[in-house]
Formats: sequence, C-alpha cells, structure tokens
Amino acid sequence: MSEKQQHDHEKHLREEHLMLDPLPRGQMNDMVMESMHTTSWKFWAVFFILSAFVAWGLFYSWGKMILEGLGIAGVNRPSYWGIFLVNTVFWIGISHAGTFISAILRVFKAEFRRPFTRAAELMTTFGLVQAGFSIFMHMGRVWLSYWLFPYPNQRELWPNFHSPLTWDLLAITTYLLSSTMYLFLPLIPDLAMARDKSTGWRKNFYKVLALGFRGTEGEWTHLRHAMNIFAWAIIPVMFSVHTIVSWDFAMATRPGWSSSIFGPYFVIGALHSGMGAVVLVLGVVRGTMKNMKYFIRPEHFDGIGKLMLMISMGWGYFFFNDYLVQWYGGDKWTKQLLHWHEAGPMGWMWFAMLIFNVVIPWAVLWNRKWRSTPWLVGTVGLLINFGMWFERYIIIPISLTINRAPFTWRLYKPGIEIPLSLGTLAFFILLYMAASRLIPLIPVWEVQEGQMAHEFKKFGRETVVTVSELE
Amino acid sequence: MTEQKSLLAVFHDLEPAADAVEQLRRLGIHDDHMSVISGVPVTEPMLGRPHQWTNVPRIAMGGAAIGMAVGIALSFWAPNMYAIRVGGQPFAPVPPAIIVIFEMTMLGMLLSTFLGVFLDSFFPNYRPLHYVPEISDGKFAILVECSSMDETKITDMMKKMGAESVQDAEAQHL
Repeated sequence: MSEKQQHDHEKHLREEHLMLDPLPRGQMNDMVMESMHTTSWKFWAVFFILSAFVAWGLFYSWGKMILEGLGIAGVNRPSYWGIFLVNTVFWIGISHAGTFISAILRVFKAEFRRPFTRAAELMTTFGLVQAGFSIFMHMGRVWLSYWLFPYPNQRELWPNFHSPLTWDLLAITTYLLSSTMYLFLPLIPDLAMARDKSTGWRKNFYKVLALGFRGTEGEWTHLRHAMNIFAWAIIPVMFSVHTIVSWDFAMATRPGWSSSIFGPYFVIGALHSGMGAVVLVLGVVRGTMKNMKYFIRPEHFDGIGKLMLMISMGWGYFFFNDYLVQWYGGDKWTKQLLHWHEAGPMGWMWFAMLIFNVVIPWAVLWNRKWRSTPWLVGTVGLLINFGMWFERYIIIPISLTINRAPFTWRLYKPGIEIPLSLGTLAFFILLYMAASRLIPLIPVWEVQEGQMAHEFKKFGRETVVTVSELE
Repeated sequence: MTEQKSLLAVFHDLEPAADAVEQLRRLGIHDDHMSVISGVPVTEPMLGRPHQWTNVPRIAMGGAAIGMAVGIALSFWAPNMYAIRVGGQPFAPVPPAIIVIFEMTMLGMLLSTFLGVFLDSFFPNYRPLHYVPEISDGKFAILVECSSMDETKITDMMKKMGAESVQDAEAQHL
C-alpha cells in the first residue's frame, strides 16, 4: 500500500468512525451545548401541537373517563383487557432499549454505543412513565390505586403476592427507579460541564443537578464502581420485567396465553420494538439537532441495524415456536383462536405484524449500505414498532375474543382508548423534546474516553484500528 | 508557624500531569496532600496515584441484604396479615416468593448503590470548592496543599513540567 493509499485509508476510517475522529473536548462540549440552545420555530410548532394533543388526549380524555367511568372505554366481556394493556406492554417494551444499549453493550464493551447511550436511556425512563399512565388508566378508579400497596388496613385488604399482577408492580417499580438512577449517574459529569458552560437560570439549574461534581479521583472512582454495578445488575432486572409482564398472560390457563415460552418471547419482542424506537429517535435527533451529524454517524445505524436484524430473527424464531406448539397441540379452542388470528376480521393485523417484524427487517437490514442509511433504517424501526404494537393487540384483545364460552365471543372495539393512546404517544415525544433542550443528549465524557482509547496501529503495511482497555 | 497554601495547576495532557505528580512526590509532597481533577475518568495507575478507596460495593451489598430481607418478609410474613389460601397453593409457596425476593433484592442493591455514590462523594455539595471550569474542557488539574515556603519551588516545577497555569487555589461557588 503506497503512502497516499495509506493516508486515504486512514482518512476514510476517520470519516467513518467517531472514535477515530477526535475533536478537542472543549469543542465537543460547545457543540453539544449549541445543539441544546439552538431551537427553531419548527421545534416550537411541533412542541405546541404535541402539548395540545397531550392536553386533549391524555388529560381531558382521562378526566372524562374518571368522571364518567370505564364504560366509555371499549373494554367489555370478553375483552376486559384492551388497548390500555396493549400500551402498557408496548411502552415497557420500548423501555428495554435503553438498558439493552447502555448496560449490555457496556458490559460487552461495544464501543459504538458511546454517543447514543443517553438517547436510549431517556427512552427507558420516558417509556416507563407512559406504561405507568396506561396501567392507571386501565385501573379505572385511580384514586384507589393505593390499595395495591401492602399496608395494614381496616378492611384487611392485602396484596396477593402469589399474583403476577403484584409481581408486575414490584418489577416495574424496580425497573423505573433503577433505570432513572442509571440515567442520572453518567449524566452528572455532563451536567457539571453544562454548569461550567452556562449562565443565568440554566447555570442554577445545572448547578443544582450537578451536585457539586468536579471530577476528583474519588468522584470518578465511586461513579465508575456504581456504573459497573448498575450495568451488571440492571440486565437481569430488565429480563425479569418483561418476563413478568408475559406471566400476566401466561399464568392464565386460556387458549393462546398459557405458554411456557412467553417469557423469552416477550423479552425478545421488547428488544425488537425498543431497538426500532432507538434507531428512529437517533434518525430524528441526527436530522434535526445541530452538530449531531458529527456524533451520530452511519456507523451507528449500521451497528444498531445488525442488532435489529439479529433480534428480528430471534423474534421470528420465538414466534414460530409459540405458534407451532399451539397449532400441533390440536386443542379445539386454540385451533379456533389461531384461525381467528389469521382469517378473522383482524387478520390483516396478523399478516401486517409478520411483514413489519420479519419480512421488512430481513429484506432491508442484510445490506450494509441500506443498514447505514439513517432514514431507511429509521423507517424500518418505525414499521417494527407498528408490528410490535399489532403483536400486543393480537395477544390481548383479539385473543381474548375466543374463549371456552362461545356465547360471549365479541370483537373488541376501542372507544376513548384511542385519544388516550395518542395522548401517551404525544407525551412521550414531548418529554423527549423537552429533555433535548435541557439535558446533554451526548455523553461527551464517554465519547472522549472512547476516543482516547482508539488509535491506528501498523501491522506490516496495513493500518488497523486498535482499542486500549482503559478501565 | 508556616502558612498552608493550596495551589491549582492546570495541564493540557495526561502525561505531563502524571509526571508532575511524580515530581511532587520527589519534592516531599505526600499523596494525601494532592489530588487530580479531570473532565474524563482516568484510573489511578495512569496517574501513578495510590488506589482510591470506595465504599460503593459494600453499601450495595448492604442494600441487597436489606432488600432481600424485605422480600422474604413480604413473601412469608405478609400472608399472615390476611390469611387466605389462593389458587389452591400453599399458604406461603416458595416459587412465587423467589420473584418477590429477587425484585426486592435488586431494588435494595441498586438504590443503595446510588446512595453510596452520594455518601462517598459527599453529594450534594454546594459549598465553595477548589475548581476551574477548564477542567470540563478536558484539562487535568492538580490540587496541591503545601507550605508557603514550598510555593515557589512547586510552582516552578509545575511550570517546568508543562502546566498551562499555576495559581493560588481559591474555593469558589461552582
């Protein structure tokens, strides 16, 4: 390889990989701060439209349902569980992406994770907020939700710890608190950076949140240990959450639900929708926020795209396994249910689920060039989310239609659930937009740490990239 | 009696900062009287500094034990508060108890890990502290406590080692 070819090769690698293209830390800090401060009229237009959606879809509609009762929702015999629980499962699924990217990729030292861990972690926290809303909506009489908590009372009400619903409460609470803490810990150094770079009310805001962090050896040591503990410990918590969510269904001995494979099937489904959502969010962040093209590059879409492809294959495997075992069993009601899924009035949803979750991801993500194209892989992510929402809709209200008492069969038709669903979606995006103005979306210190660890090394005549173990 | 001073030297790179730490030791400054502040995590061996003690893993284990105790109590003691058999299961069955105990153990461990960072780092701390904002721009600062007699000697050495600035460290609100 000639010297010029060598030079071109290194230049190409630099353009491709953020970790090989370092900028001075001060400049990266300024870029991230600028991205937070630069707000166009389009941002505010979307922000106000979403606020109106939240006001109508979430608060007005929920208030109306509280005043008039659950009767204005579509849930009724036999589908007592409707879109509220579809949304609960969906949002908990979305929340899995943050932990997957931040914890699993950290544990496996996947370097490409560095610039977008926070963007994914934010999804975990904000997704769980929407899941929480959805559960409370389903509850109906939300003002009595304290009955869920174990406390001695005159009526001798006591949560049943043998019930998957109580396990769910414990698991989701654990996951929400853990993922919020896991979001906050690595954020502290970036909040300190923002404090040092800000004036006025922002300075005071970051000063309070940065807690007096300076970056002493002790502070870094405590933080590093804590983040290692979190990265290892939050992984089994993540697996437990969606497994327990699946047990809400699988513990019931009804057709389509009573399946021993539901736990891993739900976990892989959660990762599928979560990764799809991450790639979509990254595409929007890269396309709309200033300076983000430096931090979020096609290599990141390529990396996530590979994971999406693997997860899609995993989802296909578990889906087929679940389907085949039920089909082969030959139970009369299960056969009715499977026929209802495919040939019933909602059959289009069953086929769309397979197309969005399997056919499209496989058709697009095998190709490196397509996988590295932000808008394309973002679109695949969006379609996967449609597919995964359909999957939950099929599992919950559609499957509930078919039971062992045919005189009760009735197709679920949602009512006020629709504005409430749009409200939670708008609230998720709104929270994310607000966070993008207040929180450094890029963990700059983690990017710099990664850039310090990467260098070129010559093996014979070839220049290769090496990564040093700095921890 | 000699007056005690605090000096803050700012370096652009890690290497000269690590060399300066070594030189400070040669000038008789004990490790307890210096600390390195940086905008990016650097480990003790990189700086040639002694191992930093942290209580975070111990606090985490303590929290896990408390969480486990709460989980055991909820699973085996709580059913006595409202004694009723459910689903034909034993009064306090083990398999569902494993789930409750697992979740409470993890919650206890992670909450206490978080708390451990606060306790060990003395967070939140809004008192005046020795600091320069350039640190968050990737600079490395060495904070040295020395007698006023050694000030000139240390300042000269730090500059010789490549310090961008050496100044009297004044505690300020961050």
